[in-house]
Amino acid sequence: MNKLLIEFLSGYTATNQWAAILPEIMMGVLALCLLAAEMVLPKNRQAWVPRLAIWGQVLILMIAFGFVGRCSIGEFQYFSGLITQTDVTQIMRGFFLVSSIAVCYLGHIYLSKQTLPQTEFYALVLIISAGMMLLVQSTHFVMLFVALETVTVAFYVLVAYSRTSQFSLEAGLKYLILGALSSGILLFGIVLLYGIAGNPELLGASRDSLNYGELMNFVILNMNNMIVKIGALLVIAGVCFKIGAVPFQIWVPDVYQGAPTPVTAYLAVASKAAGFIVLIELVRGPFFGLQDFLVPVLSVIAAATILFGNIAAVAQRNVKRLMGLSGIAHAGYLLLGVIAVMRGVDWAVYAVIFYLVTYLLASFAVFGVMSIAAGEEDANQELDHYESFARKRPFLGGVLACGLGSLAGIPPLGGFIGKLFLFVAAFQAELYGLLIIAIVGVVISIYYYFGWIRECYFSSSSTAVVKDISCGATSSDRFLLGALTVASIVIGILPAALPIIR
Amino acid sequence: MTAAQSLLAVLITPLLSAALIAFFCRRLGTVASTISVLAAAGIFVFSLIAIRGAAGEDVSISWTWLRLGDFEVSMGFLFNGVSATMLTMVGFVGFLIHVFSLGYMAEDNARARFFGGLSIFMFSMLGIVLADNLIMIFVFWELVGFSSYMLIGHYLNTEEAAAASKKAFIVNRVGDFGFLIGIVYAYWHFGTTNLSEMHGIVAGNRELISACIAALLMCGFIGKSAQFPLHVWLPDAMAGPTPVSALIHAATMVAAGVYFLIRIQFLFPSEVLTFIAWLGTTVAVYAGFCAYGQNDIKKILAYSTLSQLGYMSAAFGLGFPGVALFHLITHAFFKALLFLAAGSVIHGCHHEQDIFKMGGLLKKMPITAITFLLGTLALCGVYGLAGFYSKDAILIAAGLQHSPIFILLTLGAFLTAGYMGRLFWIAFLGQPKSEAASHAKESPLTMLVPLIVLAVLSVAGGWIGFWPEQLGGLIRDNLEHLHHLPDYDTMHHRVLILGSAAWVLGLVLSLFFYRAGAKEDRLEQQAAPVYHFLKSRLWFDEIYGFYVAKIQQRFALFLSFIDVFIVKGIFVRGSAGIVGLVGMCSRSLHDGNIHSYVYWFLAGLVLLWAVASGLL
Repeated sequence: MNKLLIEFLSGYTATNQWAAILPEIMMGVLALCLLAAEMVLPKNRQAWVPRLAIWGQVLILMIAFGFVGRCSIGEFQYFSGLITQTDVTQIMRGFFLVSSIAVCYLGHIYLSKQTLPQTEFYALVLIISAGMMLLVQSTHFVMLFVALETVTVAFYVLVAYSRTSQFSLEAGLKYLILGALSSGILLFGIVLLYGIAGNPELLGASRDSLNYGELMNFVILNMNNMIVKIGALLVIAGVCFKIGAVPFQIWVPDVYQGAPTPVTAYLAVASKAAGFIVLIELVRGPFFGLQDFLVPVLSVIAAATILFGNIAAVAQRNVKRLMGLSGIAHAGYLLLGVIAVMRGVDWAVYAVIFYLVTYLLASFAVFGVMSIAAGEEDANQELDHYESFARKRPFLGGVLACGLGSLAGIPPLGGFIGKLFLFVAAFQAELYGLLIIAIVGVVISIYYYFGWIRECYFSSSSTAVVKDISCGATSSDRFLLGALTVASIVIGILPAALPIIR
Repeated sequence: MTAAQSLLAVLITPLLSAALIAFFCRRLGTVASTISVLAAAGIFVFSLIAIRGAAGEDVSISWTWLRLGDFEVSMGFLFNGVSATMLTMVGFVGFLIHVFSLGYMAEDNARARFFGGLSIFMFSMLGIVLADNLIMIFVFWELVGFSSYMLIGHYLNTEEAAAASKKAFIVNRVGDFGFLIGIVYAYWHFGTTNLSEMHGIVAGNRELISACIAALLMCGFIGKSAQFPLHVWLPDAMAGPTPVSALIHAATMVAAGVYFLIRIQFLFPSEVLTFIAWLGTTVAVYAGFCAYGQNDIKKILAYSTLSQLGYMSAAFGLGFPGVALFHLITHAFFKALLFLAAGSVIHGCHHEQDIFKMGGLLKKMPITAITFLLGTLALCGVYGLAGFYSKDAILIAAGLQHSPIFILLTLGAFLTAGYMGRLFWIAFLGQPKSEAASHAKESPLTMLVPLIVLAVLSVAGGWIGFWPEQLGGLIRDNLEHLHHLPDYDTMHHRVLILGSAAWVLGLVLSLFFYRAGAKEDRLEQQAAPVYHFLKSRLWFDEIYGFYVAKIQQRFALFLSFIDVFIVKGIFVRGSAGIVGLVGMCSRSLHDGNIHSYVYWFLAGLVLLWAVASGLL
């Protein structure tokens, strides 16, 4: 009996290759090391914590890349099918590492203006990054849910991190309640799918029905089952909450405004990216058989998201809400890529990733400038604060203009090529109606992005009282922001510099 | 270094230099000029390495710039005999002009901007020389346009320079518009814009040659090479610093139009070729006449450039692209020499440009004067000098194929000798006629060395037998072909006699008519109507001015009325209003109340189900 059990268990653990998730483990260890370091280091050496966090991640990034270099790109399953590593998940590892490095840096800028505890911030950012890496690798609903909750719970804390700010607390509460609601909906969907797929009376029923592969076979055989449809829809709704797509976008402006700027950037870039990769894996995996059912739903969501995000952003004066609402619009463009994938344009996956990369570069540049320009309370930055900003801070103004230009999709910046790829993918998938809506959306977005740029460059500072916005940029700020901007431009001129599109 | 690497180095060196100057040396004139000159030398060295590396073979490399599924855009180099020849010329002449600028611009306050501009120009020009597809050519084509704009307007605070740079830019846009449509049409027609691929397609099926594409692409050439009717910008462009006139508006950029034609000559059907031949001939004669109405030393040379570009396009139109390239190269040598010598004169005479205020410069500036004379003789086509060989070949080609063109081009040769004689006799002989001229001093060594080197090339540049093996393959082929045409020998003798007669007559008659070191223009005194007719240059500027002011301006006002009242008033304001209204509504949706958010969330879910199940 004992022998049998051991054999049974070793059959399960045969694929437990812990080395495969070395970067994630190292991130967790680094997070714990930071907490330990805070206790060990004397008071006047606390500044080492952010440095340790940033340089530690740079090291992990290098190891992870060495890792990728060693193994051949392909599809590998580990942990009895809990996680699957593909070229996409490897790219996304790098993506999340870069964004958490940037968030740590922005957090360092932000925290230096606050009297808040420091170490936990970095530890949580690292945990989230590791969680998101696992999230995109998971091919099992249990793994998906655990990774998702790891990320989400850590985000609840980060959004409310600024305990002294009422905006931040309010945002944290809202994110908690709505996040819990969406998690509940997601879980409900998962349970429905699990239950129905485990029903031995149905064709293709499986004992491991939370596994993507098993579920995919089941769904293809039972695509007209009502409970399958409801379950899939609820799961999609839960993911749409994460990416901030209409009609689940309602939390975005408030939370983006209230959260500390680095956390907003993290939510806008990395959390959204993780949501999209999960969505693509779902529609290519378990929900593959439901295309006819899901394509119209996602098309309506995409159209509504693009129009709502752009139109709502036009009337916005608060820059963080503006970024939040325009972020909704970007989610809409990205949904075009997801729908194109469903319609059989396989390379659209890489178009989505390419767009996410350009979005990362441009967003962090803009959020970086916002962090530097912010005062102690950064929730109420208005467009008026940026009046003749470029004249006072030419470098930051230039970075901001490049970042916003890239978000608006102006050539020769990266955002233009990103949009071009997505739109060509949509064109090949014959989504002509959506394409027209997306182009209208882009035109509207140019209006408000350039409104901001105009505020920076061309506002007449006739009012002698120009509010001085905090201190200037240090040389390391300049390095980071300059690198982001240069990367945006280089990708715009030489898209092949980013070897993602294959 | 392989040929591909050195070609890349050729292109990157000037870009790097421009970037260094733009970012770090905006106020450091001396450093900037050193960097720029070193970059120019680097270009020349790398070109030689590339030519050695290629060893006479065609090198073609391309990188995928953009790939979307099955749609691909590539960038690359096509390095063959023609581009090797052009690259060597641009690299070498460019380097000499950079060196000359060291002396000429020594006193200028904005030297860094000037040398940065030269570097960016070299980058764009070399891009045109090497590019292997029409889109890439167009990008660099616009970049040379930009750098030309920037350098013509170097003396920003003079009204003339500002107007001239604007004019050059706008007139070029007219030609580029046709060029751009031509590229789109070519892509649509052939499915590619790659030069080698198009050549393959056309070689496979001659029927695919389209006169329309050729004519549209020719528009780009007309703008850039200042051919009729877009020639008006070139004389005005002389407002820029003289080295710029030598580099851009004589030796390289304006010749890029001809070079572009040679690169795509396989696309041209015979009717478009005939048109180009006539166009070139007309410009050659017209510009020759116009030069008599000018007193500014640089403007005379500018009209001479126009006229020589006419010769090149005539040669191309007659079906001898190699001969056109030959004239392009020799012209680059002697015209760069003439411009630089004129620059040396202007420098010596404290920026006096009127030839009737010079005089007696042969004694004051002997080296400049002698090199200028050599350039003049080469331009006139004196036997044995560079211009003789190339012009001779053009005249023979014309004589064998097209008598009217032959007669007009011979007349053009006579006119050339006449106006160049007028310029030389009046400016360099006799007595100084102004304060500035009497104090003229010989220029410093940095300016004289390039003059001497170019003078040697103006003499020896046409001896094609002595050219390195890898260069001028197409030229030799074309000349060979010409030599084996029937009646070649008779025509050769006739051209020798007529051509020599043209320059001898031109020089001698101008000496007797205008007199050495004359104070006033005798043509103006004796036949004022003729002089004023020539000076008016067929009133092209006036006609364009009238068109712009009276017709285009009124149309623009009308459009602006529509724009203000209908487009802005109704469409823009109206749609902005609607968008704003919707925006306000959607903002009120975000009222901050968590209860309503939760209800919205659930309502959204129901809505989604309604859509999914087809209820909505």
